[in-house]
Amino acid sequence: MFYRTSGQFKTTYESDQALFPIKQDMVLLVVILAVMYVIFPMFASEFTYKALLVPVLIYSLASLGLNILTGYAGQLSLGTAGFMGVGAYACYKITTIFPEVNIIIALFLSGFFSAAVGVAFGLPSLRIKGFYLAIATLASQFFLVWLFEKWAWLYNYNSSGAIEVRTMDIFGLVVTGPNASPMVQYYFVLGIVSVVTLAVINLTRGRYGRTWKAVRDMDIAAELVGINLMRAKLSAFAVSSYIVGIAGALMVFFWKGAAEPNLFDIPMSFQIVFIAIIGGLGSVMGNFLGAILILALPVVLSLLPELLGLSIGSATMEHVNVMVVGSLIIMFLIVEPHGLARFWALIREKLIIWPFPH
Amino acid sequence: MTVIDPTPEEVRKRGGEREVLLDLQNISLAFGGVKAITNISFNIRKGEIRAIIGPNGAGKTSMLNVINGFYQPQEGVITFNGQKRSSMKPHLAVSQGIARTFQNVALFKGMSTLDNIMAGRATRMKRNMFWQMLYWGPAQQEEIEHRKKVEEIIDFLEIQHIRRTPVGTLPYGLQKRVELARALAMEPELLLLDEPMAGMNLEEKEDMSRFILDANDQLGTTIALIEHDMGVVMDLSDRVVVLDYGRKIADGVPEEVQSNQEVIDAYLGLSH
Repeated sequence: MFYRTSGQFKTTYESDQALFPIKQDMVLLVVILAVMYVIFPMFASEFTYKALLVPVLIYSLASLGLNILTGYAGQLSLGTAGFMGVGAYACYKITTIFPEVNIIIALFLSGFFSAAVGVAFGLPSLRIKGFYLAIATLASQFFLVWLFEKWAWLYNYNSSGAIEVRTMDIFGLVVTGPNASPMVQYYFVLGIVSVVTLAVINLTRGRYGRTWKAVRDMDIAAELVGINLMRAKLSAFAVSSYIVGIAGALMVFFWKGAAEPNLFDIPMSFQIVFIAIIGGLGSVMGNFLGAILILALPVVLSLLPELLGLSIGSATMEHVNVMVVGSLIIMFLIVEPHGLARFWALIREKLIIWPFPH
Repeated sequence: MTVIDPTPEEVRKRGGEREVLLDLQNISLAFGGVKAITNISFNIRKGEIRAIIGPNGAGKTSMLNVINGFYQPQEGVITFNGQKRSSMKPHLAVSQGIARTFQNVALFKGMSTLDNIMAGRATRMKRNMFWQMLYWGPAQQEEIEHRKKVEEIIDFLEIQHIRRTPVGTLPYGLQKRVELARALAMEPELLLLDEPMAGMNLEEKEDMSRFILDANDQLGTTIALIEHDMGVVMDLSDRVVVLDYGRKIADGVPEEVQSNQEVIDAYLGLSH
């Protein structure tokens, strides 16, 4: 009923290939964007920004980057956190060597460093596939974290071995450092995530998306329709690591404020892989759904007893939390192994033909 | 009632006097000690339908793999469009105008029919990543331009109704047709078809035959065809080359080949 498509006719290829072939999708997106840009900032507290909104956005972005590589191009990677680290350290070095550089420019430049590192560690993908490639990317994970620890130049010979973000501003508005307002940081992250997501949507529905998916589905056939496998795989590594690098830089500069090498260790890689898988490989929206399930749900759950007036110890609540989220993940994967995005796609299809199932 | 069948010569002009598109001279291919192809020479002329037949394991598919650069022959000279070929990669063969379909359907299963066919035009799309990210503007124009071409092919092969269907869910006959569509989307000069009718019922075979003849006739595509259905081969092809154990045993118009004793022996076996 709400998703009726009758009366919406396509008369040009342009409208047939539009971002939202169905009008209701666009309405839905406008509502979501309005909530993100207008409603949340009206009510959100500092805690909501720091514990809910910003982390979900940043992890969604990292997962989006991974999804290009794993979901679209079919190259399994376990080195995401390492590439995030490259982005963060590159951004740190750029902002300390050239203090006058605008943080936005530094951010987008630092992506190129992680892209280069990603391509270098993507070279094995030309020879190996699947689990073997995953192990090869795991090597990058260990190597990069070791490098962040041992190469003192990266953290400017800081005695603590950590990188700390100094206060920076854009045209007088403080965006990083301890004095930045969480709302400004939230808007900044939201803006970057929106722009990158739009670029990724455009990439994946065009030539690059088809090339990557072709390589994923059958690489020999892809080669025989004229796709240069080396270029396709390495471009996937480059774009993926670029986005992941930006996510890493955002994480340190606009959320944590400081970072030690072990932040970019393997648990974070796995967490992002989980987000991508539960959200749905080969989908853009899935990353956001996955991040909400894995990051936001535990926070909301831990607030629940307080809201309901129950007195449960925080330690107990933490255990309950792990159990609830864990069983939800298992349930979702049993109900729909292709992830939350597919789950939504099925619901949407049902809604379109509802109430007449034929 | 007597029906006088016109001989194939009368129906269509034979390709015999047209110029040579692909020339293979003394091709040999071996995998370690196994000789897949031994000293085979034949040519494919512009605009003809050339069948390659032979019993199982005769080296037919290997021959196609050599033609489109998937295998490198150890010996022999390949000339395509008057150009002698040195080393070859499949994606380069495509850019020279050689497309192919597979014995086992090799479609991109997670993509829709439309996307599969569009993927066939991947090498013809030139807008770089920057424009692709912007989408609106040149990239969209290019996309629409190619979409038009793809829709022509979709009309040509009568697969409009499955445009949006993921190909993994299609029945086998339609998958074969989508694969042909993808190959045609590359606008090849030479189209290699590896058993396009394997596993099809009579009706699907008739459809596929019609599409092959139409592609040859209306789009002017030269076709090299591997097929086991002798009725189809004899009816469709202009010339037939017969392989057995990696050697060429016969080459000529269908009637000649049919009456060739060596061919009959290869197919029926020889009493010793």
